[in-house]
Amino acid sequence: MEAMDYIISKYNYWMYIILMMIGFYAMIAKKNLVKKIVGMNIFQTAIILFFISTASKKGGASIPIIQNGHGSATDIINTAHYVNPLPHVLMLTAIVVMVSTFGVAIALLLMLYKKYNTLEEDEIISILKTENGK
Amino acid sequence: MKVLALIAVLLTTAMLGYATLDMPGWGDPSSPASTHVSPVYIQEAYKKTATPNIVTAVLADYRSYDTLGETVVIFTAGVVCMMLLRKVK
Repeated sequence: MEAMDYIISKYNYWMYIILMMIGFYAMIAKKNLVKKIVGMNIFQTAIILFFISTASKKGGASIPIIQNGHGSATDIINTAHYVNPLPHVLMLTAIVVMVSTFGVAIALLLMLYKKYNTLEEDEIISILKTENGK
Repeated sequence: MKVLALIAVLLTTAMLGYATLDMPGWGDPSSPASTHVSPVYIQEAYKKTATPNIVTAVLADYRSYDTLGETVVIFTAGVVCMMLLRKVK
């Protein structure tokens, strides 16, 4: 029973590790550049999920919006009623960075495809080598 | 090459898995992340910023310079995409 409780309290981290390692493997082992970028996105998504999970609180905590905020908000605010807002804020920033890197990477891939007519890393390297050889 | 990548991935998995043994359990209200700074934000945010949504209050009030930098990031990304994708005459 104790082992079960331990696994339940930790298995979310293990899921994020698995997801993150899927992205990491795609980034370093795949030859296709689009697959590398998709791996980078999976990696960043795992980090975002990890941060959001650190914000959660057991025992009936709700979203971090003060209830009756525009009415009688002079009541004492109980910290246990709201989840931790800071990871949510930081991950909003991380999502913006993620979208920016994804957009720039896709634009670079388009230019690579126009120049070399392929998106496979080894083919591009062999083309570069033959160009340098002559 | 794939074997090397797999070894690197398994090593990183082992290190990260070892690190989770020290992490607080899921939803623990007394975890370090929710005991040091965040209670102050939850209790003071409405009084200081008059915004019921604490996430908005932190994003646009406490960390407004951070958000300004964020807009610079996304502006730069947009400019770079335009420079890369424009038609060269």
